[in-house]
This record gives sequence, C-alpha cells and structure tokens, in this order.
Amino acid sequence: MQHAVIAETTFDTSLKSIGKPSRGPIHKVLVSFSAAYFTGALVTDLAYWHVPDVLWERFSIWLITAGLIMAGLAAIAYVFDLANNTSIERPAWPRAVGYAIAVLLSLANAFVHSRDGYTAVVPLGLTLSALVVIILLLTAWVGMALANRHRVGG
Amino acid sequence: MMHGFRNARPRKLARGLVVLSVAATSLVLVGCEDHGGDPRKQIGANPVLPSLQQYLVPPIRIAKAVRWGDAMPTVPQGLQVQALATGLEHPRSLYVLPNGDVLIIESNGPKAPIFRPKDIITGWVQWFAGAKAKDANRITLIRNGNGDGVPELRTVFLDHLNSPFGVALVGHDLYVANTDAIVRYPYQDGQTSITAPGTKLTDLPGGPIDHHWTKALLASPDGSKLYVGVGSNSNIGENGIGAEYERAAIWEVDRASGAHRIFASGMRNPTGLQWEPETGKLWAIANERDEIGPDLVPDYLTSVRDGGFYGWPYSYYGQHLDPRIMPQRPDLVASAIAPDYALSSHVAPLGLAMSSGTDLPANYRGGAFVGEHGSWDRTPLNGYKVVFVPFSGGNPSGPAQDVVTGFLDANSHARGRPVGLAMDRSGALLIADDVGNTVWRVSSARPGSPPKPGS
Repeated sequence: MQHAVIAETTFDTSLKSIGKPSRGPIHKVLVSFSAAYFTGALVTDLAYWHVPDVLWERFSIWLITAGLIMAGLAAIAYVFDLANNTSIERPAWPRAVGYAIAVLLSLANAFVHSRDGYTAVVPLGLTLSALVVIILLLTAWVGMALANRHRVGG
Repeated sequence: MMHGFRNARPRKLARGLVVLSVAATSLVLVGCEDHGGDPRKQIGANPVLPSLQQYLVPPIRIAKAVRWGDAMPTVPQGLQVQALATGLEHPRSLYVLPNGDVLIIESNGPKAPIFRPKDIITGWVQWFAGAKAKDANRITLIRNGNGDGVPELRTVFLDHLNSPFGVALVGHDLYVANTDAIVRYPYQDGQTSITAPGTKLTDLPGGPIDHHWTKALLASPDGSKLYVGVGSNSNIGENGIGAEYERAAIWEVDRASGAHRIFASGMRNPTGLQWEPETGKLWAIANERDEIGPDLVPDYLTSVRDGGFYGWPYSYYGQHLDPRIMPQRPDLVASAIAPDYALSSHVAPLGLAMSSGTDLPANYRGGAFVGEHGSWDRTPLNGYKVVFVPFSGGNPSGPAQDVVTGFLDANSHARGRPVGLAMDRSGALLIADDVGNTVWRVSSARPGSPPKPGS
C-alpha cells in the first residue's frame, strides 16, 4: 500500500517537469532550421555555379522552400511563445527585423530559383542566396553583441 | 518606462513587417503588369522581336474551361461548321483513311514528374485550363460515307495505346506513334476495328520526364521512310542537356529496318508534319520557348531542311541567344536557321493541314490551315483559333487569316481549344477540340442546307 503511494507521487512529479514550459522558446529552434536550409542553398548554388548540373539547382530550390516553410512555422511558434509568455530574450527586435528581411529575400529567391535554366541561379539567385546568409550572420552577430551589452550593463 | 518599451516593440515590429511585405509584394507584381503587343507584328517572315525579359513571377494567364452549350465556333461567310463527333475524351489529332473514314486520336500526356515546387503549381494551372483530362489512350473511327457531316458509324478503332498522337498508313501497314514507340498494325480497307496485336518498329524518346510527349508522324510519298516530330524534354533545358538526347528534332525512320537518323534538330516542339503539295518539301509547325516575355518567342511554321538546325535551346530566330542555357554553343548558333513564317507568340500551333480538294471556296485552296491551341502565359490571350496561311509557289504569300474562331467566349473563357487538323476526303476541314471534346467539320456553306447543330 505504502509502496503504491510513493510510486504515484513520483509519476506525478515527472509529468509536471515535462509539462512545465521551462525550456527555451520553440520558435528559436525553427529559426535555426530555416537558417541552416538557407545556408545550404548557398552551398548548392555555388556548386551549380562551378558545374551547372541541374541537380544542384533542384537542391537549392527545395532547400529554400524548406527554409521558407520552417520560417512560416517559426512565425506561428513565435505567436504561441508570446501567448504562453515564454521568456523571450532581450534583443528580439533587431533579430526579428533582420530575420524578416532574410525570409522576404528568400521568398524572392524562391521565385528566381523557379526560373528555367541557368538564370535561375546565375547571377541573381546566387546573389540573393549569398545576401540572405550575410544578413543572417549579421543578425546573429548584432543579436549576440546586444545580448552581451545587456548582460554587462545590467 | 519599461512598460512603454514593451508595448512599443511589437507595434513597431508589426509596422516594419507590413512595410517589407508591401515592398516584396509590389516587387512580385511588377512582372504581371506586362502586356503583349499586337500579334500581327509577329506574323510572317520577319517578326518584330522585342528584347528578352526575365521575371520574378512569370505571367500566367489561362482561359478557364467552360462548356460549349448551344454555342458553335464562328466561321466567315461562305463556310459552315458542324459537330462531326461529340462526347469524345480529349481528342488530340486526326487522320483520314483512304476510304474517307476519320480516325480521332483521343490522348493526353503521361503524368509529369515533380522535380521542383514549381511543377506542383504547373499541375494546378493545367487542371484549371482543362488540360488534366484522363488519358483515353484510344483511337475512335467515324464513318461519314455520304460526306454530309452526319456520321453513320462510330467505333473504337484501336484501344490500350500509350499517349498516341501521330498515325500514318502505308499500304496495309498502319503506324501509330505512341509517346515511347512507333507500333505497326495490319489494316484492311474498310476495317472499323483493329484487335490484332501491334509490332514495334522502333522506340521513341518517352519517359520518365516526357515534357513534350506528342509524336507527330508522316510517311514519305514512296512509303520508305517515316518522319517523326519529337519535342524537347523541357522548356529551355532545365532538366539537363542529357534529357534532350535525340529530342527537339525530326527523326527520319527507315520503315524496313526501324533505324533512324536526325533529319532536323533545334526545333523545340515540332508537330503537324506535312508535305507541301507544290514543291514536295517537308513542313512543320513548332512551339517556341516560354518565360522570356509575352512577345517572345513567336511560334512558327517552316519548311524543314535536311540536316537543318533551328536554334533550340541555344538561340531563337537564327542567332538570338538565350542566356538560360549553359554552356553555350556558338558553333551551333552560327548555323541556326531562322524559320520561314512566324505565327506570333505563344499561340501554341498543334495542328497543320495543307489545303486539298475542292470543297472549300477558292480562297482557301493553296495554303496551310494551322490549329492554334492558345496561350497560357500571355496577356491578352493569343491563339484559340484556326488560321489560314495562303501559299504561292510553295511558300507563304500573305498574312494569316482567321478561319475558325469563337473558341473563347465573351469572358475569355475557353469553350474549346483547337488542336489537330485534317482535310477529309471531300475537302472539308476537320478540327479536333480537346477541351470541347468535339471534332468540328468546316465546309462550304451550301444554300438549302443550313448548318445542323451538334448532337
């Protein structure tokens, strides 16, 4: 009898620890996924530029599409995170704008990559892919710098 | 202070995002503002070719498919139009047997593979335009012995084919060009149905992509050779140049051995192979490339030279380079032949009939009828009609004249789309309509015999 009660209590505690929103915001994970997809597209674009085999171009457009889907999911998750009042890190505003620009450029890039033949990538598609990665890097760098300043300055 | 900052942030963010979205949307819409010019400037030997444009979103302008109802195609005075056969399944091409029986090839392309997200969108567009009809894979025979346009007999002539398009009869050998092979069937005069198994003469470039799937077929006058129109496997090489092996070409197939050689190349989608009666030269129509503007590139009608190269994919109308193909081939471009006669851009010619017989009025003797399936990527719409190109001395001699119109209704919806053409034994013009699922017959209007509505 005593044994059973103990077991029940333990179970209850473990359930609570899973259910509690003690982890970081979900949207950040999805943002990382999309950033990785967009970066992958730059790599496959460079490969296509080097050897114009259509396979690379197809990799690029699917990577960009996957990145955009992840960005869409991230936007939904962001709303949920706001609603759930999950702790959102301090410099969210510059990050959000930088990321939004990168996503919009990627949307344009998806259309460019849907062209037929060489000009789906060279020069405009490749340029946009590179620009998106640069913006994502700058955004991450600015975000980190601001986070440090907040931490240091209190 | 803290409180105010928290409130301002999401609002500012929202405003910024709205501004960016509007900017991106307007960027997208820039491509759609583009209207095509007067198609008449692009008809004939010297079409006006504007400079090439590339789009963020290529314009799509499709005519929604609607029913004919009680409406009929429109023909000029002196002609009448009747429905020879209705209730067909995507009739694509026509062939008239020596006894006057009409073969209606009911066919559609194989399922297109999805390589890119764009291919999914293209599938939706085609469905909307009524081009996603089931593939009947069948040839129907219509007999109209007395030539009044009211058939006495309708049978399934040949069934279980594979996206057939071209048909040619040589003696008692009937050849059907499926999308992947030419198959020979024994045919006896007057036969209305073939059940005998076919014998493969040769393979043709088919799947798995099979972008331009139609294989037009024409026998040489002496019956020793067959000419086959083999379309490209892409718009402009986006499936890789390897996918274009022996495509975008007219094949010459030896009827005895099945061996083939490339008779002419660089034609993106050649169909409507016909002999010009005066000179005995081979003529064809071709669909040119898309996505570089509403007035590029004009589709054409041309004589086909043995060994000739007509530009695709490297160039168009001679030496106009296409930047979408890499590596370029200046050696081939230097030899590229400009076609004889432009039909204007995106009209999609898919049927050609050299006029013959004496049924039609004198002004339609000596020339070529062209079935223009109609544009899907141009504003305003172009094509959706049958035109007549007058010939003199074996060459086009004037502007194309509209012969059969009314395929579009007042709202620019497509009641039908003309495809394959043929002249029947009496000299009337037959038109396959793959959206209206009808075969139309155009003949001289005879006093006392008003046109009968289709039944």
